[in-house]
Amino acid sequence: MRRSNPFVTTIFYIAILLLYTPLLYLILQTFLVNPNNLKSGFTLSWLIKLFQSPSLWEPLITSLEIGILSASLAVTVGTLGAVGLVEFASFLPPPIQSLIMLPIMLPEVITGLSLLLFFLLLRVELGFATVVIAHASFSASFVYFIMLEQLKKLDPQMAEAAQDLGAKPHQIFWKVTLPNIIPGLMGGWLLAFTLSFDDFLISFFTSGAGLTTLPLKIYSLMRIGVTPELNGLSFLMICISTFLVLLLVSKEQSRKWVLRG
Amino acid sequence: MDSKATTSKQIPVTALVFIGWLFLMTFLPFLIILGMSFLERTPLGTISFHFNFNNYARSFQYIYLKVLFKTVWLALIATLSCLAVGFPVAYHLARSKGWMKQLGLVLLFIPFWTNFILRIYGLVSLLGNHGLINQILLSLGIITSPLEILYTRTGVYVGLLYNYLPFLVVPIFSALEKLDPSLREAGFDLGANRFQVFWRVVIPNIKEGLFVGSLFVFIPMLGEYVIPDLLGGAKEAFLGNVMVSQFFVMQDWPFGSAMAGLLSALMLMTLWIQTRWSKTSGLRGGSLNA
Repeated sequence: MRRSNPFVTTIFYIAILLLYTPLLYLILQTFLVNPNNLKSGFTLSWLIKLFQSPSLWEPLITSLEIGILSASLAVTVGTLGAVGLVEFASFLPPPIQSLIMLPIMLPEVITGLSLLLFFLLLRVELGFATVVIAHASFSASFVYFIMLEQLKKLDPQMAEAAQDLGAKPHQIFWKVTLPNIIPGLMGGWLLAFTLSFDDFLISFFTSGAGLTTLPLKIYSLMRIGVTPELNGLSFLMICISTFLVLLLVSKEQSRKWVLRG
Repeated sequence: MDSKATTSKQIPVTALVFIGWLFLMTFLPFLIILGMSFLERTPLGTISFHFNFNNYARSFQYIYLKVLFKTVWLALIATLSCLAVGFPVAYHLARSKGWMKQLGLVLLFIPFWTNFILRIYGLVSLLGNHGLINQILLSLGIITSPLEILYTRTGVYVGLLYNYLPFLVVPIFSALEKLDPSLREAGFDLGANRFQVFWRVVIPNIKEGLFVGSLFVFIPMLGEYVIPDLLGGAKEAFLGNVMVSQFFVMQDWPFGSAMAGLLSALMLMTLWIQTRWSKTSGLRGGSLNA
């Protein structure tokens, strides 16, 4: 029955190859003397230059800081939601369900623009804080779903036992529930961090003029035209992203979300 | 708070934090943009609180309808192409076993967790006038002047196909996984050949999966902004690009908001069709049960 069809198999491998070509070519370009000429020979100078120019490191550090803060915020809010709603999750009223799905379903360009209008109307100055909040606003729902699944796996008898032994609700949370959902927390945090670190469009709208994250830097360099710095930066970014995705895949809780896109 | 029965029936404060957060940070901004779409921009560039539908009426002018049709048309072609390439890929994955299947899925998704802008930049370096494709074709003597792919409609099409393919593979893959193998065996036992089994047993049983999966890539394509912006150049604008330029170039927020409203309506409509279909077929699109 499970004979593989050579035609199907060939298409599969060609598709995989084509999916990797742009990224592999970016890596190759990093080591070319002239990035736009395959025959120009190899060099390490672009990478060395990357490590020497602080102007390229700043966006990386900004991105990491935003990622760490927004992931922590999203995990806090999303986990609170999941802990509170786990008993009700299967019969939540449709408006609440839609509200939870909204950040996942809404096109990014609309999310970004509406947050921009929101911040402008509130007269909040655009910058670091607005980007952190904007990232956490869409990743909290992802964390919620990861945590919900983790909490559903918990044996309710453990909390009941704690209650019978006289634990108060907050004690049950800190001493029984929390230690058991740490894998989920880590998976959710990593997913939220990755979503933030990779985000371009939401940052584009909510960052204002002064702040530059790594994807924004790559975008502005792309607009200027292809520069060698851009290739060094791309190389760095590919390494970080691949590392993050391998981490996510290695965690059972977040693997499903990675493979779902 | 006294008995377990009463505490478990009221929604706890912790949940309210989350719901309040979503309301404040997602729903309220969305409401603001919707509200804005019924206002008016004064000749001075300020916003007047005069409730009207003019912005929506204006969206149906020929130039904007043309953009709408182009967006829908290109998204449709790209979705069908994703289906054509994604189907054999999903089919191969569904038929491989154990760790090969997991590895295949991970291989498929790694590129999509590298930065989106980088993937686009990778495509720019492949498709550009000095890109890999043109370098190879020129040095082989197949062409004498560079092919113009980047900053054309073809560029946008390649970008859409490249960036959305895995999101269609997964729903097809889940549908194929759920297909009872005995159905195919029964087909063979009844004397059908491979093509007949494929067209008359496999396809009818997964057509909901194909449909729902297609919607899952078609909807976000409609709201695409970056791909047409960076791969299409100025003349291949999608609805999203025209919308953003209303905000930043024309400074006409109410009209830009109306376009956002229309875009959301378009998505909600397709989403509604999708939930109706998935209710009748009992299939949850986009979910992976591997």
